[in-house]
Amino acid sequence: MADEIKPDKVVDARGSFCPGPLMEMIKAYKQAKIGDVISVYSTDSGTKKDAAAWISKSGNQLIGVFDRNGYYEITMKKVK
Amino acid sequence: MGNGRTKVLVLGDGAAGIIISNKLRLLTDRERVSISIVGNTPLHYFKPDGIHIPLNLKNYKDSVKPTAFVINPGIDYIRDMATHIDPENRKVSLLGGKVLDYDILIVATGNRFAPDEIPGYSGNANHFYDLPSAIDLRDQLRKFKGGKIVIGQASIPIQCPPAPYEFTFQLEDYLRTRGIRDRTDIDYVYPLNRVFTIANVSDEVQRLFDEKNINYHTLFNVESIDPEKKQVNSLEGETVDYDLLVMIPPHRGQRFITESGLADESGYMDVDRHKLNYKDHDDLFAIGDATNLPISKAGATAHFESEYLANRLAYETSGHVYDESYNGEVACTTVTGEGTAMTLYFSYTKPPRAWYESKFDYLLKWTSADTYFTAMLRGIM
Repeated sequence: MADEIKPDKVVDARGSFCPGPLMEMIKAYKQAKIGDVISVYSTDSGTKKDAAAWISKSGNQLIGVFDRNGYYEITMKKVK
Repeated sequence: MGNGRTKVLVLGDGAAGIIISNKLRLLTDRERVSISIVGNTPLHYFKPDGIHIPLNLKNYKDSVKPTAFVINPGIDYIRDMATHIDPENRKVSLLGGKVLDYDILIVATGNRFAPDEIPGYSGNANHFYDLPSAIDLRDQLRKFKGGKIVIGQASIPIQCPPAPYEFTFQLEDYLRTRGIRDRTDIDYVYPLNRVFTIANVSDEVQRLFDEKNINYHTLFNVESIDPEKKQVNSLEGETVDYDLLVMIPPHRGQRFITESGLADESGYMDVDRHKLNYKDHDDLFAIGDATNLPISKAGATAHFESEYLANRLAYETSGHVYDESYNGEVACTTVTGEGTAMTLYFSYTKPPRAWYESKFDYLLKWTSADTYFTAMLRGIM
């Protein structure tokens, strides 16, 4: 079901390496409104762990980490 | 290419701009290739000494040379600043009003500091990433009698990513030498989920932090500094108190790159990872800190990129094909403690493979300003 949530903002960071995708996600977070859903696409497997850790520490909501066809999608909701 | 002479124009008189110009001058015939470099920096500063100068380990006078002196003969040094690039018409506008044309343009304009992105930064945080700031920090540390020192970087990317931890290790030695280590807490803050960008190096740095009783806070992206409460606040909701704050400011590429339509708001040019040319332009390149390549922003990177690009341009301007690639190679020596250092070799695909701390590596680091000024910067190494 979480897989069906339509993000308000998609950040395509495929092809960039750590810390690129995490920094792109943080940049999108800063520009987003409370309640916005942000998805980050990354081909760097390290993003799964790093992004989830950042979302948890910053008190936001991790909606899901999805294996797509050749990349990962990390989706979060800005709650603070 | 008027009169059959190729005009190479280099923007930026920092390490990247001077190394590529000097190397290319050594490899090309003056009758066939003209080289001009645009910049307005009177003194060329060896930035890696910024980790030594605040701790009284080096005299800053040994870390600077007149810029005009370090540019090799046969290169036209234009003391001005670029304000606009028109790649379609191959023209560069300068602040002084001149417009230069080129056959080949190399952008090597580095970073700028963006302290205003952090409320409370200006006037309250110290750093060592330029010479005046390194000298100011030296004076602050001389007055320091104990308390809490917070070291970190506000955001990513920055020049020379190892420098914050190198400074931290040397600061720890400095405080012990002065007999005030037991009265001082050291806290290190870092934006990522570890204490350094490269995972296996980070593991080792973290081990040394534990060994030296240095506290660290990861996933700490600096949002603001409160000078009244003497606190650093993170985007993630964490707060760290300080008595002395050493915080590397946010870095960005030059505004005129963005305004010329060659980069997004970060100011860093999107160049081919292996060929260093901008998109589909075969006459426009960027090297050093000015690119958005996924490798360290460091003089060592600029040095390796210059080796590739100077060879390529020397071949191509003499009518030959050059089919080598730049693969992200970087080698740099980083300090790990009292008289020890280690040298990291890595590329786009290979992380640093070995960890050998040694006194010999420290000697390499200690003499690197001499090596830099006499050989590396001159293009002969």
